[in-house]
Amino acid sequence: MTGGAGVGTPPGPLLDVRGLRKLYPIHRGFLRRVVGHVRAVDGVSFHVDEGETLSLVGESGCGKTTTARCILRAITPTAGEIRFRTGEGAVVDVATLPKARLRPLRRQMQMIFQDPFSSLNPRRTLLDIVAEPLVANGVGDRRERVERVAELLRLVGLRPEYMRRYPHAFSGGQRQRVGIARALALHPRLVVADEPVSALDVSVQAQILNLMLDLQAELRLTYLFVAHDLSVVKHVSDRVAVMYVGRIVETAPTAALFATPRHPYTEALLSAVPTPDPRLRARRIVLTGEVADPAHPPAGCAFHPRCPYAVDACREEAPALIEVAPGHRVSCHRAGELRLRGVGG
Amino acid sequence: MQRPILRVRDLRTYFFQDEGTVKAVDGASFDVHAGRTLGLVGESGCGKSVTARSILRLVERPGRIVGGEIWLRGAEEEQDLVRLDPAGRAMRAIRGGDIGLVFQEPMTSFSPVHTIGDQMVETIRLHQRVGRREARARAIDMLHRVGVPRPERRVDEYAFQLSGGLRQRAMIALALSCGPRILIADEPTTALDVTTQAQILDLLRELQAREGMAILLITHNLGVVAEMCDEVVVMYLGRVVEAGPVDAIFHAPRHPYTRALLRSIPSIQAPPRTRLPTITGSIPHPYTRPAGCPFHPRCLEFMAGRCDREPPRLLPVADGQAASCFLYQPSGVAG
Repeated sequence: MTGGAGVGTPPGPLLDVRGLRKLYPIHRGFLRRVVGHVRAVDGVSFHVDEGETLSLVGESGCGKTTTARCILRAITPTAGEIRFRTGEGAVVDVATLPKARLRPLRRQMQMIFQDPFSSLNPRRTLLDIVAEPLVANGVGDRRERVERVAELLRLVGLRPEYMRRYPHAFSGGQRQRVGIARALALHPRLVVADEPVSALDVSVQAQILNLMLDLQAELRLTYLFVAHDLSVVKHVSDRVAVMYVGRIVETAPTAALFATPRHPYTEALLSAVPTPDPRLRARRIVLTGEVADPAHPPAGCAFHPRCPYAVDACREEAPALIEVAPGHRVSCHRAGELRLRGVGG
Repeated sequence: MQRPILRVRDLRTYFFQDEGTVKAVDGASFDVHAGRTLGLVGESGCGKSVTARSILRLVERPGRIVGGEIWLRGAEEEQDLVRLDPAGRAMRAIRGGDIGLVFQEPMTSFSPVHTIGDQMVETIRLHQRVGRREARARAIDMLHRVGVPRPERRVDEYAFQLSGGLRQRAMIALALSCGPRILIADEPTTALDVTTQAQILDLLRELQAREGMAILLITHNLGVVAEMCDEVVVMYLGRVVEAGPVDAIFHAPRHPYTRALLRSIPSIQAPPRTRLPTITGSIPHPYTRPAGCPFHPRCLEFMAGRCDREPPRLLPVADGQAASCFLYQPSGVAG
């Protein structure tokens, strides 16, 4: 499958999301009338190229996990397109695909979960857990599956002899390796990783991040990485999309986003990350107030009540996502004039 | 430097379970000074939270303090908290009075059936001789001081009505309502978003500058430690492996664990898509703690026959800095 890599013009992105929306109705009263909507994801567009890592970052409630779940069709989006290029070269819209046709597609999209303690069934051996997607999709006979599981365990840095053991015998980092092995069982083309290291100890985080980088190089995987920790994001991403109250406010190649952010929210987010160096105790930009309620987003730009640079236009009109440099898009009325502070590296 | 307000000496807190004994804290010593912030850092199972609970005498069975001293300096004399009855009058006066406490998850620290104000009034009246009216006025004032908007209305709300950030502010207000001399903050920002975390850290710094209390900050986040602390104590599997001024810990760490830990954390300053140096292996299960130095199976500078026999003692390695590692202890001295 890796034969044509890097040769000729790429046939377009692996994943192309356009105008994705997920609204949850708010019901009131005896008749359960719909009185409004929680705009969890409110018009999100981005693409992920084959073999790259795009990170969706933002604070709780920004819609990053909902976006990821829509892409896997764990939930059905309210509107928008999710165009996925299959291994056979066809482009399908995951958002509207009938359930019956989703199944073969799901082999190509897999998920790595946040919590390695609750995502593995404690009563099943590693063999059962890792082989589960193979069984569900009728891949191979029992002997072939055992061989494949051994190969997968080796791939993620676990000894194949462990396959007869149960998850409780393993540390958090080892369990996350099991979760990764399971996700890779069916040779997926897109791996969605939702906060894959945030439940792990610091000394183990680095091992898992390195493993994900190695596997990507070896298997030419494409990652959609969902995370809140910007330091972690910087270590794994080719490009980053920053979300705020259901929308992408900025997207750029990783180096550009961190060094020269163009949206005031990105600037504040970067500035809020505590740096592990007491000599760099920064003059932090501390935002006032809290993240807006997606059930009642403010008029205009959703960030304006907290934005130190807001002007009248920001209160009235929602800015569009426009390109300010190659691959660098930002939705801010003042993107052209503001000079914002980034971080080194 | 002034005399410390709290001195912990060789604290040992064990948990006696059917499967074996977990030495959650196994010989921790450190000092806490007024107006300064001491960071207690380490990964899961290092004993940092059990240390805090031991100081407050909140260790529950099957856990028990089996040794050591915890000296709290009062107006006239020092008293050893280990000798007090955990449920007794003296300890109850200290808990919430001399020592305030902020937990990670403010939702579980507030009662869901009482208003924030009622809980603050109750705490204030438990420790100070004031009437309900006066206590309520103090509660509102405290909420105001921690930056809760419209405190006269918020005081009559329930914890679940507040956002995560406001709840943590209310929790801090509750902890500070009796003017404690020491604030123990156990992962106070771990459940919060990064912009809210920045607000809460700023608030703690402001309050410390104004009230002069000591802060014992317990966290796994080395970024938070670098931003907040004056001194740092690094723990691993129940033992203090290194202690010293924050600048020395980050710029001249001595213990191989501290060094490896600092190298392995992803930094926002690093270039994109770089592999991180790692620490091999994982933290051992507490029942199977390695003999000798608990870090030796993962240590790159492991010395066979030495590190796996006796645990090293915490000894000075530089001005104000101490490490428990045989690299800095000539072999004749051991034992």
